[in-house]
Amino acid sequence: MTMYGFEIIQELASVLSGDEIIVSSNGNISRQVYHFLPKPQIYLRGSMGLPVPVGLGMAMARPGKQILTLVGDGNLLMGLGSLTTTSFIRPSNLKILILDNNAYATTGSQMTSSGILEYPSLLDGFGIPNIVPILQDDPIELIKEKLQLWIDASELCVLPALVDSNPPTLTNIPWHPEQITEFQKNISS
Amino acid sequence: MINSSEFLDFLREKGFSFATGVPCSYFSRMIDEFENLKAISYIPATREDEAVGIASGIAFGGARAFVIMQNSGYATIGDALTSLAQLYKLPMLLIVSWRGLEPDRDFPEHSLMGEVTEDTLVGYHVPYWEMKEEDWQETIELALTEMDETSRPVALLVKQGVL
Repeated sequence: MTMYGFEIIQELASVLSGDEIIVSSNGNISRQVYHFLPKPQIYLRGSMGLPVPVGLGMAMARPGKQILTLVGDGNLLMGLGSLTTTSFIRPSNLKILILDNNAYATTGSQMTSSGILEYPSLLDGFGIPNIVPILQDDPIELIKEKLQLWIDASELCVLPALVDSNPPTLTNIPWHPEQITEFQKNISS
Repeated sequence: MINSSEFLDFLREKGFSFATGVPCSYFSRMIDEFENLKAISYIPATREDEAVGIASGIAFGGARAFVIMQNSGYATIGDALTSLAQLYKLPMLLIVSWRGLEPDRDFPEHSLMGEVTEDTLVGYHVPYWEMKEEDWQETIELALTEMDETSRPVALLVKQGVL
């Protein structure tokens, strides 16, 4: 059985309450969030390695909102130290979803080194509450259940998802980054 | 030397409720002062680019953060500036210690960066001011006016013994 990262993003639509702000990572993940989920969100374009810190800052500045950060494995590894900072600050309104396809899919699916990671013990070591990872052969009901647990968590929470890599071809996000920032100014706290 | 408490109170009055960054010995008194001033939340980052990321998230959320770092740390934030803070127009105040000058003659690791600090600020289109003890409030006012008008990061360079 296969489960692609974009399918997890599509599944997210059914658990969103509308009170969340998503911080999505440069490349495919931002494009998929733009195409498959309600708009507007914070679609990062560059700044590889920084979605977790951006989500952390956003969670601190907007304590009344749920901040969902969606990050790939290559991106997570580039900014791994930020998990320490995130655990230290522990904003209860921050949720991180790791979409690990073991590849730099946006640049042509070159492999990452993430295959050696064991997420539950990694996250336990960082002191970060986490949910049993989504696996490729999880039935869809179980995937939905894990997403719901993650989004409903009353504290900082990370959900890793081990997925297959086959991103759909999507057009680029048509909004200029300055517009993405402007849209946030109009969202009430 | 600028009084740390006055310095942080001034920034608080200017709307800064968050600070993040990586320490420099030049800033040790200011960082100690965060303990006493609960009105500014200080987030210790593991790297300077991470700190710019955190400050960017804070700016996305409509609040203000300043970021402290050595100029050696400034050397690591090029992408965080160009593809995030500058690209998305996220204002923040960078407070950068100017290492590698005469007092650092026994610290060769800072020498080259000390020489090119201004060039790299200019190269990355970051407006900057050297902050001096005698007119630090006026300098910060100038920097923040530029930050607000451009909605982009601006920097203060701080030599040894100023803060």
